[in-house]
Amino acid sequence: MDVISNLGLGFAVALTLQNTAYCFIGVLLGTVIGVLPGIGPVTTIAMLLPISFTLQPEAALIMLAGIYYGAQYGGSTTAILVNIPGEASSVVTTIDGHQMARQGRAGPALGIAALGSFFAGCVATLLIALAAPPLASIALQFGPAEYFSLMVCGLIAAVVLARGSLLKAVAMVVLGLLLGLVGTDVNSGARRFNFGMTGLADGIEFVAISMAIYGIAEVVYNLEKQQATGVVAGAVGRVWPSLADIKQCAGSILRGTALGAILGVLPGGGALLASFAAYALEKKVASEPRQFGNGDIRGVAAPESANNAGAQSSFIPMLTLGIPGNPTMAMMIGALMIHGIAPGPRVMTDRPGLFWGLIASMWLGNLMLVILNLPMVGVWVRLLRVPYRLLYPAIIAFCCIGAYTINNKPFDAFVMAFFAVFGYIALKLDCEPAPLILGFVLGPMMEENLRRALLISRGDPMVFLQEPISLAFLLVAAGLLVVIAAPAIRVGREEALRE
Amino acid sequence: MKICAPKDFWSGVMFCGFAAVATFAARGYSLGSAGKMGPGYFPLLLAGLLAVLGGALIARSVVLSGEPLSRFHVLPLASIAAGVCLFGVLIEPSGLVVSLAVLTLMAALSGGRFRLVETLALAAALIVFSVGVFVYALGLPLNIWPSL
Repeated sequence: MDVISNLGLGFAVALTLQNTAYCFIGVLLGTVIGVLPGIGPVTTIAMLLPISFTLQPEAALIMLAGIYYGAQYGGSTTAILVNIPGEASSVVTTIDGHQMARQGRAGPALGIAALGSFFAGCVATLLIALAAPPLASIALQFGPAEYFSLMVCGLIAAVVLARGSLLKAVAMVVLGLLLGLVGTDVNSGARRFNFGMTGLADGIEFVAISMAIYGIAEVVYNLEKQQATGVVAGAVGRVWPSLADIKQCAGSILRGTALGAILGVLPGGGALLASFAAYALEKKVASEPRQFGNGDIRGVAAPESANNAGAQSSFIPMLTLGIPGNPTMAMMIGALMIHGIAPGPRVMTDRPGLFWGLIASMWLGNLMLVILNLPMVGVWVRLLRVPYRLLYPAIIAFCCIGAYTINNKPFDAFVMAFFAVFGYIALKLDCEPAPLILGFVLGPMMEENLRRALLISRGDPMVFLQEPISLAFLLVAAGLLVVIAAPAIRVGREEALRE
Repeated sequence: MKICAPKDFWSGVMFCGFAAVATFAARGYSLGSAGKMGPGYFPLLLAGLLAVLGGALIARSVVLSGEPLSRFHVLPLASIAAGVCLFGVLIEPSGLVVSLAVLTLMAALSGGRFRLVETLALAAALIVFSVGVFVYALGLPLNIWPSL
């Protein structure tokens, strides 16, 4: 079996002392930032991108990936014990999880969250191993027209699934695409949008813009909000859930995992959407839905399994197509590019050690997370006592050091300050930054593929409709736009995405 | 004409502003043709699209009602943005210690009540951590002290 020999290779890479150590650092950091509200995986990965430059690409990606799925574990801990979602994807966990904690069942809630996440993590790892090779081999046959339409489809889907106004989200995508074009045009050598500044000759630094928006602008935005102080629940007690609990949850974990894995693959999906959808589904299928909201263990098991499955399966489009579905995946693409690896279907064939090592490390990381989270829950909760006023200057300082060291260019600090102001204004105007970041990453690739497709067709735009795969992508994109414009579904979407 | 949705209106204005700046900056770029695109083709396409979207937001804001704008907290934003810029100015001539101290001070100024001792302790801790991790452990090429 190919899968087994591939996974064997992966484990050989992941289990080296160095990579295991970086995997551990990743999940540990992920747990910490997952517990802390106000700092998420995107910010953390952005802050660590410059550091990852000094590592081997395998170690760098393994560590950065660990931060993302590690944050899903950490987020649930705060959600259950303190009623504060450490991460956005743990928002629904607070509903039943904190009720359970109030009823003195914090232990089983934490236990089932960890077990569900672990199960989902194992399934998602296997899914990536099975689904990635065929997908990558299909993607290898894509021409520029197919790629362009795929990106259009991906961006539209990401926008449709995002929160807030559709019009604003599309505008943010377009603005992101434009910002991505700043710098020297690879085809003509013309310098575009540099406004007379030599610092912009190579374009806007990805690390600077993402840290500005996800690090600094978020800090300023958080400073305005009143700090919510939750009540830490009493003793956690026995963490291991009873046999009856596990029996009750088995179905929820399975459904949550399946739903999360599917939603994670979609552009715009990932952990956040998966957890909301899984909770809604559990409420629908449960025989006595009134239990939900009053500390039903199924209301913890399903979204926690789903967010972990979604976090991991969102690696599939990133690894096989080179297309990021959410901002975290955009960061991973950034990490690949820092190491000079072109993201896309060739990564698997050209760098099998990196590809399979990353997948194997996810399983390893999930195992570490169960061990880290269950016995050491008390340690993580104590982290919440660190006040935000001590935390945010540190975030800003690491962002500055990161922005500077990526190219040793002081100019990038100014770029960061500019986009921090922009990001704050955008947040104030309810313009979600995620579509902008996706557009920014895809901008140059989109122009390149549009250019090549039209060069081949001698300027005939019908080429996008004549190629069947390209047509299919565009039809899906158009369908999504029509569907979202229909009022009935719009209401449902708002309900599903409401916090 | 009354603006019923200020958030939509101002986002529309912002997007139109970006579109205008992009169009103005791209005025010298050659367009080429669809089959042989010049450097100006795709950017102008996007700028046009952005202007249409911004215009739609403005048009919608006078018809549909929306949320009011919440207050902009200019001071914390300005102080942090200025701190980041100062970091850029200071990092090469003055080194990590000075620039981090200035940055921490500027950042702490922006968050409510200012506590001097705490801020100094925090700056010291950040400096020790950064020098230890970034300069010694990771070997990043950063000046620690001012270069004379």
